[in-house]
Amino acid sequence: MNFCVLQLSNSFLSVKANRSRPLAQGLLFLLGLLVVAPIVCAQQPGETPGSDKETMQLLLKRISLLEAKVKKVDELEARIKELEAVKSQLAPAEKTAVPAQPTVASENESESAGERAMSERMDVSKTLLRIRGFGDVNLHGDTQKGDTTAFTLGQLNLFVTSDISEKFKFLSEIIFEGGPDNIYGITRGENNTFSVDVERYLVQYSYNDYLNISAGRWHTAIGYYNTAYHHSTWFQTTTGRPFLFDFEDRGGILPIHTVGVSASGSIPSGRLGLHYVAEVGNGRASRSPLNQEPVQNVIDEQNHKAYNLALFARPEAIRGLQVGFSAYRDLLAPANSPKIGETILAAHAVFIRPQFEWLNEALVDRHSVFGTSQVFNTPGFYSQVSKQFGSYRPYFRYQYVNAANTEPIFPDVRLRHGPSVGLRYDASESVALKLQYDYTALRGQAATNGLALQVGFTF
Amino acid sequence: MRRLALLLLILVEAGCVSGAWPRGSVEHDGLPPQKPPSAGENLAIIVNRDNPVDNLSTAELRRIFLGARGHWTSGRRITIVMMEPGQPERTAILRQICQMSESEFSNHFLHGLFTGEVLVSPKTLASPVGVREFVFNVPGAIGYLRVSNVDSSVKIVRIDEHLPNEKGYPFHVPAPAAK
Repeated sequence: MNFCVLQLSNSFLSVKANRSRPLAQGLLFLLGLLVVAPIVCAQQPGETPGSDKETMQLLLKRISLLEAKVKKVDELEARIKELEAVKSQLAPAEKTAVPAQPTVASENESESAGERAMSERMDVSKTLLRIRGFGDVNLHGDTQKGDTTAFTLGQLNLFVTSDISEKFKFLSEIIFEGGPDNIYGITRGENNTFSVDVERYLVQYSYNDYLNISAGRWHTAIGYYNTAYHHSTWFQTTTGRPFLFDFEDRGGILPIHTVGVSASGSIPSGRLGLHYVAEVGNGRASRSPLNQEPVQNVIDEQNHKAYNLALFARPEAIRGLQVGFSAYRDLLAPANSPKIGETILAAHAVFIRPQFEWLNEALVDRHSVFGTSQVFNTPGFYSQVSKQFGSYRPYFRYQYVNAANTEPIFPDVRLRHGPSVGLRYDASESVALKLQYDYTALRGQAATNGLALQVGFTF
Repeated sequence: MRRLALLLLILVEAGCVSGAWPRGSVEHDGLPPQKPPSAGENLAIIVNRDNPVDNLSTAELRRIFLGARGHWTSGRRITIVMMEPGQPERTAILRQICQMSESEFSNHFLHGLFTGEVLVSPKTLASPVGVREFVFNVPGAIGYLRVSNVDSSVKIVRIDEHLPNEKGYPFHVPAPAAK
């Protein structure tokens, strides 16, 4: 071996010394190098029969280790198959629910599967029931005689919806509220107990954009506020509704809820954006004592039904503008007195954009006593304006209602009017803090000053 | 001179291999050449291939994406497909079609569902592949994709009579700002 190396060295030196020799000589040298190299590598020192034995033992040990690992892998594979079989038995419906995938879009199967799983999870419309919650807690005090400053739990509102099918949908508002009811000035219930009211309960059939039919209990389409804010204070800029639109069990004068059937939709009108709502229902209770439930949920006192027709426009040219008109007709039958025809005419013009709102509504509630010439007109209006500055939204509202002292249905209302001013602060996307001052002038009584602090939230 | 020529040859080859040198453009379905996702490009409004609608006005599209229009003319319910919040395509749609911020958009739909005026909230999907597959599978679906992410499995709708590769097309994802 030493000889070979020496020979190579000599050849190399000889090549180096005679640069003028032809290129063929160099190639010959390279060829020689290639032939000799394997021989050099094969004759390494220190290779004895004893070391071969050790190597063999090491290799055998390594093989046994690998065999153990292979056995383990086999066991794991068997376990995976077992689990997959169990999974397929448990969820056969899930597999069939996965829609056929387009061949053109199957670039990455694993990614597609992930996407599908994620879309199913995020597809809230596919769930049978969706629940959204709203609530508020208040601190309120005013100068009215007999009132005390108190912390008050507001309505806890569970808004429940479900897509029954592509055309049918269910919607409801389940309200937990504390305190006594106030129906036309008459109170019922205890001060600090909670009760449950199903305020909206609707099954909707949506044929197309021009025809949607609903059955159940809903908020009557009188004006704008009643159908825009329902029972959530979080949606409202202010701490509460204008008293013109107060709920029936909170001293309100309007039939806020109706039980019956309604049709609604858009009217083909191009850029004018016309819509209609037509409703027929039980109307408000009038025969039973006033401290009874004012909404006729189950039994109507009479065969006569209440009707309401509303038309409104959302012109494309002025984004955020809605103007509308509604006419409501019912026949009231108070006990021990003649029947009363009720007509409510309402008009509204609202301009709402995310940063600015201006709400204006006016209505007249007309009661005509049958068999007499007595007619009682109760006019009312409110105007509310607010503007958003970052998380702050200062607002102002002026409201007015004027009912005659001899008004047969709501004798307690009389004249009340005054401004409200407040500030809404959106602490987060789901929590709003509101501070509101109210001044209310009353006919024949001292004016009241009220201050309210509210935290409204959605969850 | 020979060395210079050799150097030039090496440089040219290196450029081609690394992709820095353009090697022709790929077109499909009459769409403009693909651009890398990071670059600004037009946003295509896509519907299911079986949907007969070919053209929508910007105003109609706004009504659709805000849930004010809930049905196609065929009577089928419209299903809006949105990408996840924070995706540049979604931000562009909110700004250019809905003219709303992310929180205004979510409030709008929450309020719409609450009043009953909006029939269904938008579906949210994470990637262009997901959007494309959803629109392919759901006959009433409408969504949006960068033009380079569109393929023949879905149908591009003209907006105000314009296709995404035509001049005057209104919707565009801006290129990300240089760092």
